[in-house]
Amino acid sequence: MIAKVWRARLIARLLPYLLIAPTFVLVLMFTVLPAFNTVNDSFYKPARGLNAAGKSPQFVHLQNFVDILDDSHYMGQRFLRSFRNTLIFALATVFVAVPLGLLLALLLNRPQRLLGIWRFAVFYPALLPLIGAASIWSFIFSDSIGLANAVLRSFGHPGLNWLGDRNLVLLSVIIVNIWKQAGYFMIFFLAGLQNIARELYEAAALDGADRFQQFMGLTLPLLRRTLLFVSVISFTFAFQTVEQLQALGEGGPADSANLLLYLIFQNIAERRNWGYVNAMTLVLIAVVLVFTLGNFLLFERSESER
Amino acid sequence: MTALCKRTLSLCLLLSLFIGAAYAQDDIVIDFYFPSATANDAEGIFQRYADMFEEENPGISINPVFTGSYTDTRNTILTELQGGGAGPDVAVMLSIDLYSFAEEGYIVPAQTFIDGMQDGDAYVSDFFPALMRNGVDEDGNVWAIPFQRSTPILYYNADLLAEAGYDSPPTNNAELVEIAQALTTDDRHGLLVPVAGGFPIWMYQSFAIAFGHNIVDDDPTAVYFNTPEAVAAVEFVRSLGTDLGVGPAGGAAWGDTPVAFLAGQAAMIYHTTGNLTRILGGADFEVGVWYLPSGPAGEDGTGYGSPTGGGNLYIFDDGSKSQSELDAIWKWVTFLSSPAIQADWGATTGYIAANASAWQTEPLASLSMEHPQYLIARDQLQHAGKEFSSYATITIQGIINGTLESILTGESADAQAALDAAQAQIDGILADYR
Repeated sequence: MIAKVWRARLIARLLPYLLIAPTFVLVLMFTVLPAFNTVNDSFYKPARGLNAAGKSPQFVHLQNFVDILDDSHYMGQRFLRSFRNTLIFALATVFVAVPLGLLLALLLNRPQRLLGIWRFAVFYPALLPLIGAASIWSFIFSDSIGLANAVLRSFGHPGLNWLGDRNLVLLSVIIVNIWKQAGYFMIFFLAGLQNIARELYEAAALDGADRFQQFMGLTLPLLRRTLLFVSVISFTFAFQTVEQLQALGEGGPADSANLLLYLIFQNIAERRNWGYVNAMTLVLIAVVLVFTLGNFLLFERSESER
Repeated sequence: MTALCKRTLSLCLLLSLFIGAAYAQDDIVIDFYFPSATANDAEGIFQRYADMFEEENPGISINPVFTGSYTDTRNTILTELQGGGAGPDVAVMLSIDLYSFAEEGYIVPAQTFIDGMQDGDAYVSDFFPALMRNGVDEDGNVWAIPFQRSTPILYYNADLLAEAGYDSPPTNNAELVEIAQALTTDDRHGLLVPVAGGFPIWMYQSFAIAFGHNIVDDDPTAVYFNTPEAVAAVEFVRSLGTDLGVGPAGGAAWGDTPVAFLAGQAAMIYHTTGNLTRILGGADFEVGVWYLPSGPAGEDGTGYGSPTGGGNLYIFDDGSKSQSELDAIWKWVTFLSSPAIQADWGATTGYIAANASAWQTEPLASLSMEHPQYLIARDQLQHAGKEFSSYATITIQGIINGTLESILTGESADAQAALDAAQAQIDGILADYR
């Protein structure tokens, strides 16, 4: 009798662990261990030179980090430039694609004709595989045969070298990203808007608040959580961008549109660069972590102050 | 576990038994990885070759695996081998990948197999010497066998040249500029050189050679990127898009170039022979093909010159393969590089058939009589230089490409200073190998 109770208790205590075990093992194997290895390997330079495969790596303290922050070093030059591009890219996504998603949601949250088609049209880019969408854009941006230049030329403009001009190419990549993400973000805002009770607006209207005041005083505060969520995911998405660069000029010319994760991917092939790859990965993780936490704490605090 | 799950699982187990049984018939299976860099149906063609080979060689079966672009193929193989996987037995990879793979100890020299052949010398000397240059190490050992090889050539719209009063293509840079300027209009470029879009080094090398000094030689620890010739070459390429105004600033993109040529938006282009079949088939005007014009080094042949390009056959072995497996692998390599297959491959794709005797073999023999353009690419090989390859090739090539792009797009105005800085970085890397 007592044994039976004990067994039942034991099972009850063990069951939760058993249930999370599969996930835990997977996370341990594919996230925690690689992350630990990344930290460890970022302090080493792989063996270089002839018959390097047999030699062991060399412990170099923080030299890999020093190198990637050195503008005259071949990797530092590329890292610093890609890092700057990634920040611009991320900020452009957050400050353009997110408000645009909100605007689209506001427009498409009102009853109107063909509402379903409008919503679908705006959401459609989000459904396309990124590499396919970017390939379509690479045709649009093509110098001699592209649609973008055909339009410009019909207005008498000589056309722009969208993917070849070092001052334009990052903008081209950002345009594709905004086009791709705005519709996706809109879905979240639409869901958020539909959770706001209609009576609130009616009450506000009775109090004499105009559309703009309603938006500032009601919609925006009530969408705060959605806004936080969308900003965080858009920022982290921006740091995860790889595929579209493959189709849009591979980060060139001379890394003028290269982004961090793609730069990391580009440098995995050669063993001599593995130390740098690990160091760059750590920086990438750290930045995303800081921004996510910062963003979260900031919003959380103002949330609890209210 | 649901019934469906169980059923699927048992089906899988059953299937794996069958697959195991199919492979257990003592067949030697050769895993052959290949990329594709053109619009050709590579998968269909290799399946056909595999079927032919298996018919001639019972007991050996070929498993052709399409592995994407050249870069994808290299990364796939590296990932498999670095992760302790089996990797391929034979693969087509860029001819410049030699030192990356030799350094890691993944590939074995073809020289061992050639030494074991009765007519090994004849086998090697049938290949065009220019195509062997990237497959041989500094001691003269052959590592890789030429397979899908190409070289840049000049394509010109013969109708447009004739309209402007030129009955022959340019043979030197001065004529090139003159004709290009004469043929440039508001909606047409006189000359497109595809140096934009990530890979300017290949086209740039043609100019470096034409100006008198290639950026590499047989020593894989030496790079010559800041010589006066190297500087003059990059300044010339830049001027095509700026002062001379015959093409877009910064150069044309790789994929756009043949499209613009076929659409009549470019009178002349530099492009790969790998596109010859496609361009000849797609043009509604007379397509002329000629050597890349000679540079200041001279028209006695020293100023002509293009790099070679494309892929070689590599043999993978970590020392674990049996002699009979290695024999089978070498049979497959010699089959693919035989005149019969090279003639077929060259005619189907436009790649330069790698051995001299392939050009006397059908279907290439008749095709090259019908379209003499194919012969130009072959004959230009006598002036061709080594394609850029060194130790740490990928990293150094990245530095060179980035530097060229920053000069060509106007970011680095002082070409000499940019090349000096790059050379210093390159020397720093190569110091590990000297």
